[in-house]
Amino acid sequence: MSKVIEIENFSYEYPDGTAALSNISLSVEHGQRLTLIGPNGAGKSTLLLAMAGFVKGTGKVLVDGLQINRQNLRKIRTLLGCCLENPDDQLFMPTLFDDVAFGPLNMGLDAEQVKNRVSEALKTVGLAEMADKAPHHLSAGQRRVAAIATILSMAPKIITLDEPDGSLDPRNRKNLIKLLSGLPQTLIIATCDMNFAAAIADRAVLLDKGGVIADGDAIKIMSDSRLMTEHGLEVPGQFKNIARRSTSN
Amino acid sequence: MHHAYIDKFAYQDSPVHRLDSRVKFIVTLVFTAAVVSLPRTSPSILTCYAIGPFMMLVLGRIPLRFAFKHILLVSPFILVLAVTCPLYDRTPVAVAFGTFLWQTSLGWMRCFTILGKFIVTMLALIALVSTTRFSDLLTGLQKLGLPKLLIIQLGFLYRYIFILIDRAHHILRARAGRKLANLGFAAELKIAAAMLGSLLIRSIDSAEHVNIAMQARGFEGKWRSISRLKIRRCDLLFTLTAVSFLLGLHFFVKPILL
Repeated sequence: MSKVIEIENFSYEYPDGTAALSNISLSVEHGQRLTLIGPNGAGKSTLLLAMAGFVKGTGKVLVDGLQINRQNLRKIRTLLGCCLENPDDQLFMPTLFDDVAFGPLNMGLDAEQVKNRVSEALKTVGLAEMADKAPHHLSAGQRRVAAIATILSMAPKIITLDEPDGSLDPRNRKNLIKLLSGLPQTLIIATCDMNFAAAIADRAVLLDKGGVIADGDAIKIMSDSRLMTEHGLEVPGQFKNIARRSTSN
Repeated sequence: MHHAYIDKFAYQDSPVHRLDSRVKFIVTLVFTAAVVSLPRTSPSILTCYAIGPFMMLVLGRIPLRFAFKHILLVSPFILVLAVTCPLYDRTPVAVAFGTFLWQTSLGWMRCFTILGKFIVTMLALIALVSTTRFSDLLTGLQKLGLPKLLIIQLGFLYRYIFILIDRAHHILRARAGRKLANLGFAAELKIAAAMLGSLLIRSIDSAEHVNIAMQARGFEGKWRSISRLKIRRCDLLFTLTAVSFLLGLHFFVKPILL
């Protein structure tokens, strides 16, 4: 399988000198569903921003073989869709149509192609009837999937999502899991919700204090109760039986 | 968020809602200019002009209560201006209404004219924003040649003003939850400044995130949009009706009432 993200010895410090990411090395293969787990302040969001070229540190970051630099940035932005934590930051246009059309228009597509992309993306997230609504007229769950539609309309190869399950009720969370599970793109999801991560991911990367603590199969990492507790996390409900069995063995 | 949005009826469907935003905007602009330019001593003619926005509200199925509630919300400034008129202009004038004749002062006439003009122009403005989606209005203004930068700023203002109000409400609620006694003017002022500072920092933070979201979707400083506006036969009919109404009032009704 081809690698869509390659990070080698990446480090980043906040302007006040605090180390946010230290010596991160990571590669993501095409079609993988990777979850970045870790306690608050572990560096998950910063790592997602580094992948999209918004955080410049030391080390190497390649997106689909392209080094992040000024020349490649435009191409990288069409390859990697970056969905921020707060949907209100992601939805900044007066209507949902305009918001979903924003990316394709910047890609230089013509009006007809943009309209097709918008209707396709809104249909995928189940908001086809809401195109003319203003974002502040949508519910929290609708805003969340609308934010994903703004990325889908650009048809990226990779999608990064920062805490996509934040403040969602169980029904909306279930709908979001169904939506994300059906997407063909490579997904990189940063979350603190272990049940949500376990429902989607096939690979997990545990981050803490800016470093990679564990990287591997999602079930194996997330069912390791000792590892999870040590880093302020919990074993997700669906993996508790596996965790019990491995503890008794 | 549970704000009473000024455009809460703009998403309805009615013949007025379906009209092109450019046509509605220009008609409202000309109507407002016509009302404002009426003589200061003619409150009676204003009732005839009020028929226009009144019809727009009725045909657009906008509750009149909603319109008058919003007029009341912004009325204090005009009320202060209007009620001071009788104080400084006491020139006596005779007023005739049919067979009734009575004497009053020019100040009171001005007071009623200011209030009348305010109500009629506000009705027209509310009719415009309640029957036009803000996004369509912005696209219309852009098509009419308003600077793109202004349109973008208006778009952001409309998108984020409600979020800002919401945040301010949350901060006020958090303060109310812990405010157990009156701390005095100086302390309250200090708290208010801290609250404003917090709101400002969060706004800057949001602006940075919006900037990231825009760049992530390929924004490089050039604003692109798709216009979905189209002038149709009903728009021409509306323009013709509005022009006939204004000309009729100006040339036939005004000479009789003034």
